[in-house]
Amino acid sequence: MAGNKGRGRAAYTFNIEAVGFSRGEKLPDVVLKPPPLFPDTDYKPVPLKAGEGEDYMLALKQELRETMKRMPYYIETPEEKQDIERYSKRYMKVYKEEWIPDWRRLPREMMPRKKCKKGPKSEKAKDTSKGVSLTNTADVLKKIEELEKRGDGEKSDEENEEKEGGKEKSKEGDEEDDDDAAEQEEYDEEEQEEENDYINSYFEDGDDFGADSDDNMDEATY
Amino acid sequence: MTQAEIKLCSLLLQEHFGEIVEKIGVHLIRTGSQPLRVIAHDTGTSLDQVKKALCVLIQHNLVIYQVHKRGVVEYEAQCSRVLRMLRYPRYIYTAKTLYSDTGELIVEELLLNGKMTMSAVVKKVADRLTETMEDGKTMDYAEVSNTFMRLADTHFVQRCPWVPATENSDPGPLPPAPILVISEKDMYLVPKLSLIGKGKRRRSSDEDATGEPKAKRSKHSTDNKEPIPDDGIYWQANLDRFHQHFRDQAIVSAVANRMDQFTFQTQTSSEIVRTMLRMSEITTPSAAPFTQPLSSNEIFRSLPVGYNISKQVLDQYLTLLADDPLEFVGKSGDSGGGMYVINLHKALGSLATATLESVVQERFGSRCARIFRLVLQKKHLEQKQVEDFAMIPAKEAKDMLYKMLSGNFISLQEIPKTPDHAPSRTFYLYTVNILSAARMLLHRCYKSIANLIERRQFETKENKRLLEKSQRVEAIIASMQATGAEEAQLQEIEEMITAPERQQLETLKRNVNKLDASEIQVDETIFLLESYIESTMKRQ
Repeated sequence: MAGNKGRGRAAYTFNIEAVGFSRGEKLPDVVLKPPPLFPDTDYKPVPLKAGEGEDYMLALKQELRETMKRMPYYIETPEEKQDIERYSKRYMKVYKEEWIPDWRRLPREMMPRKKCKKGPKSEKAKDTSKGVSLTNTADVLKKIEELEKRGDGEKSDEENEEKEGGKEKSKEGDEEDDDDAAEQEEYDEEEQEEENDYINSYFEDGDDFGADSDDNMDEATY
Repeated sequence: MTQAEIKLCSLLLQEHFGEIVEKIGVHLIRTGSQPLRVIAHDTGTSLDQVKKALCVLIQHNLVIYQVHKRGVVEYEAQCSRVLRMLRYPRYIYTAKTLYSDTGELIVEELLLNGKMTMSAVVKKVADRLTETMEDGKTMDYAEVSNTFMRLADTHFVQRCPWVPATENSDPGPLPPAPILVISEKDMYLVPKLSLIGKGKRRRSSDEDATGEPKAKRSKHSTDNKEPIPDDGIYWQANLDRFHQHFRDQAIVSAVANRMDQFTFQTQTSSEIVRTMLRMSEITTPSAAPFTQPLSSNEIFRSLPVGYNISKQVLDQYLTLLADDPLEFVGKSGDSGGGMYVINLHKALGSLATATLESVVQERFGSRCARIFRLVLQKKHLEQKQVEDFAMIPAKEAKDMLYKMLSGNFISLQEIPKTPDHAPSRTFYLYTVNILSAARMLLHRCYKSIANLIERRQFETKENKRLLEKSQRVEAIIASMQATGAEEAQLQEIEEMITAPERQQLETLKRNVNKLDASEIQVDETIFLLESYIESTMKRQ
């Protein structure tokens, strides 16, 4: 039913008059590329408002910019070490006031954790437990590491505590414990890794192979 | 959040807080609400850095936290609040016009620090004001406290949500994050403090004429250990109240521009409107479409003291305002000499429309603007009708319409005659959809400001070496002047900067000033458009 009305002649499907072109008129060229990035404008912009208020606000803005850089909230990016240490840099450091947020208003996980190992007492205190340990792969990996370490015997007391603290995590302590556990685990592992090139215990706890070498950690187990 | 907004937020955060905070902030804006570890993992920053950045962002009310089930705390960024950082100079300047220098410094300290206790603000502001005063004079804490209380009474500063005081008998595990509460009636309640003291100069207070410097100094060092009387009660600047003020200012100046050119007594109508707005400040919520009705008698009583216009003249003005096609003021009843309201929503709509018209005029020319206003007025027009009404030849009219169409100021509305929507049997009408045109313009404004900031940073970086050199020279001159150097030596130091370098510095300063001033003015347009869009969305 459609059919080419004009047998191959071009015909508009709509009323060309309605859009404003008269029949037979040359249509404008098709644009084949995106508009230019910096087009010429026929009309120049109107000059900016000038006045006392505007001048004051301008000065304020520039001052605020400078002030903000000196406030303790501006966190500097740690610079890469320069090849030559400049003498003058020591004397050009801007000393910023330390800012301590009000910890009562922030979530508990915001407090910076200390890197030192916690004593068994505090680990026990954290054991009040309701916990449901989260099942992410990080946790599983850490548990495996803890189990490996337990098999090795050294520092087993503390690590038992850690594991306990690790397993029965209280709800809020999740991230903190993970952090501590992770830091301490990494520390332990690195220490041991330095001594030998081999993975300490290839087999999981409970296998006969691993059971023999429980006492002596220094030797690699195969 | 559109890409333009995210880019602008990124530039603002970087300028004000550094790159680490910017990375965390932009990540949160892009991805929405996330817990701490996911942020650290996704952005590749250490947990320690993320914590610091989040503390800064929360302190400045840019990020809020929520406790979800299983004790997971999630953090969410407030993109619109980040964009408010552009408007800080305007807030501070407004405080200056209303409450003079003291008010200005109070608002500045609150904005720079996010939240502060009242005692901390008062102390810092007193110290700063004392610096600027003549030798021997100091600023009293009581005066600063007074200004603070006035700011709280007029709602320009408000209390932050606080940690509810829990009974200590509860020995259970602490919640992962404190749930902050806020109650409407306590939000502007100023704690009863008796802050006694005076501001201190930063340099040695030995020259202090009051004669108690030693005692003060020792007290100052133990200050940190004294318990702060209003511990835990934090204040923040109430940006909505400032916005309400800006909106009122815009309406008053619009009325002044429109009506007061033709009257002998300057600015009467704008004064009347200003009075009406002032009376409605506290009674009308800021999002209302119109103010509470005010009777003509009330308005007469509340006019500022200097105005001696008679009741009849006031009534005439009110009638004139109510009959005006712009419909800023409407008559809602006849009791009490006539009840009048201010149509806030319509006023914002007119202001947004005026902005659009002005943009069309400056970008496309005044004939385009004529077509635009025509289509606005008649709502829907066909191509042929546009040519006839505007009295512009067909070819040019067509060209202009298509330019505006491709700029998204005007849109086409199709009205089919037949159910199959055949193009040859469809009406195509040109129309202006103000809401969508306003949104388009707003988006463009965000892009403009981002471009302005980038250009300014580029200019500054290009001339970094020169700027540092000039700063060093200034520092040298200042220190030499302090130690009493001769004119000749100063001249010599000044000549370290050569004439072409001076020229370059001048050009740089001029450019940076221009770019900064442009940012401030584009922000005014953003404010108008955002207010209109918000008001329209609330009504739907």
